[in-house]
Amino acid sequence: MKRYLETGNFAITEGALLAGCRFFAGYPITPATELAESMSYRLPQVGGIYIQGEDECAALHLCIGGALGGYKAMTATSGPGYILYADPYGWAIGCEIPLVILNSGRVGPVSGITGAPGQGEFYLTRYPTQGGNFETIVLAPNSAQEAMAIVVEAFYLAERFRTPVTVLADQLITDGFEDISVPENDKEMQEMGFRTWPRGINRGPVFYPPTDEIDIPPVVLGRNTGALCSDWTPTEEGYDIEEVTAHHKHAYRLIYKIRNHRHLFNNLYEKIFMDDDPDLVVVSYGTPSRVVNTAVKKARGEGLKVGAIRLINLWPFPDEHFTKKTNYLSVELNWDGQLVREVQRAAPKDSRISFLGSCGDLPTVPDLIEAFTKILRGQSLERRDWELEGW
Amino acid sequence: MDHLSKKYLRPRKIPSTACSGCGLGLNHKAVIQAVYELGLEVEDVVWGTSIGCAGRQTFATWKGDGFAGTHGRVYAIARGLRLALPPGKKIILTVGDGDAFGIGLLHLIHAARCNADMTIIVNDNLGYMSTGGQYGWTTPQGSRTDSSPYGMYEQNLMSEGMDVLGILKHAGATFLARHVAMDGQRAVESIKKGIQNRGLSLIHMVYPCPTNFGSRELGTRDSVKIYEWIRSQSAPLGEEKENTLWATGVYHDASNSRPEFSESIRKNVEKIRRTAAV
Repeated sequence: MKRYLETGNFAITEGALLAGCRFFAGYPITPATELAESMSYRLPQVGGIYIQGEDECAALHLCIGGALGGYKAMTATSGPGYILYADPYGWAIGCEIPLVILNSGRVGPVSGITGAPGQGEFYLTRYPTQGGNFETIVLAPNSAQEAMAIVVEAFYLAERFRTPVTVLADQLITDGFEDISVPENDKEMQEMGFRTWPRGINRGPVFYPPTDEIDIPPVVLGRNTGALCSDWTPTEEGYDIEEVTAHHKHAYRLIYKIRNHRHLFNNLYEKIFMDDDPDLVVVSYGTPSRVVNTAVKKARGEGLKVGAIRLINLWPFPDEHFTKKTNYLSVELNWDGQLVREVQRAAPKDSRISFLGSCGDLPTVPDLIEAFTKILRGQSLERRDWELEGW
Repeated sequence: MDHLSKKYLRPRKIPSTACSGCGLGLNHKAVIQAVYELGLEVEDVVWGTSIGCAGRQTFATWKGDGFAGTHGRVYAIARGLRLALPPGKKIILTVGDGDAFGIGLLHLIHAARCNADMTIIVNDNLGYMSTGGQYGWTTPQGSRTDSSPYGMYEQNLMSEGMDVLGILKHAGATFLARHVAMDGQRAVESIKKGIQNRGLSLIHMVYPCPTNFGSRELGTRDSVKIYEWIRSQSAPLGEEKENTLWATGVYHDASNSRPEFSESIRKNVEKIRRTAAV
């Protein structure tokens, strides 16, 4: 094990290399640029390929090309680049191409504030492309060290599920310097819970089985298997067809291969003080969860019966954490309230659900404790004096 | 089925789903003939296609490995794939004019910039014909289409004094040619040169669309009329007449003059891998 004081971008790079990533195509964008830079430095050292796309849309298409040729591939961006992935993301979902995509959230919409953390892509990562008829896997770490582990896990899941996996981080995770331990051999990787899955090669010409099966090797071109893949509705052999039954079979696969195997990743969460049926459950993911955890521990010291759920597996949304009728507070780095809507949907009727948003900066522990206190007293959260309406 | 179809094409995709009278088959045949004359086998080629008439009708026709990319992005996909494929494996892309010169032009320019080894056949039916017939970036000036009912008055990449091949030449493409579908063996010879170039080759091949372009611009779906209309306005380079829209032949041949993209990246990566401290 080697220890470093380094950024999340460094940790993610090392995680990707440990997972077998040997192809990275990126495009400079704050705050994910350093990841492209460190990939350009590290990949050639291990015989891997770094290239720069002419835009993010090209970068993800380049990754698709690399993956179709047999590489484990990855790209990274922030919100304004993630939106340009819509086109290739859909193709990769439809053609079941394993990829890892890192999104380091900043403040939007559009360019917004470049060097500050935001969580505006909670829903966008669920629906990164048009057309529906698919599920997506999205994982959200809350530290540099965890980002390394989650990227390794993302590669593992991408291969087993034959699908792109988004790792949703934010500016504080990718840019922030932290204490990072990098495993140096397989034994250390195992000790750290890292698991990997080798790239298989679909022997074709069968493109997909109309079932929810996983662990089917993806299409790899150039091995003379007669493999086919396209953006049109495919037959099971990969031919294009405009036919509803064929499309239903394909869509069934894209949806249920993920829904029916959620047990492989729905253990990715963290709960604190949740054993004694707390009066208030604070829900968060990413860096705000670090402040939330501190605030919840402090509130417990002050006698407030508060617990916290920190989501790592964001999509498919883990409804199973929200079975109790109680008070919920969603703490997010946006002002429109995104995660809170899923909590509203998943929680039992008549649960009282509140939202505390901030953006570009983390909430403070006193802010949070004040909000806990108000909710537990049955008061509503105050709005700022210039706001006409509260959430 | 002739011997070429038997050798190289999938029976499932024969007959073609193209409209009656469509000229795409002539272009397709020219590519297959070139592949045959070069002695290439099914396993020597990965075939990519795009969106629109040209992409859809040629997808999965090749017996070997094949893919169809999203609209205009196939040049970026092929560039990524180029890095992963063995150097001897050929990539042939059959795409449309809207795909290459409209939505995909940025990616095409960057594929040319880095001289990625692929042969791109741009099958040009003079606009967006699979969506019913709208003008595109090579539609002759003044043509009536569904989106230019008064005649196309926008300037495009083939307007007077302009040529899309000029853009690609200066972007770094190492082989460029233009033909019309009726050029027969002359087109085959150009495609062969394109495939032999280890770098980016593009062959622009105009072909007749009786169903949409013909019916709007010429007022008839009679395929003979549009074949004649295209042929009469094309002439070999150097023999252009007053009415020549498409001068045919090799525009630019700098074959094997510049480092190829994947070769150069592999060489550099290998050098770094051997020398850099890990």
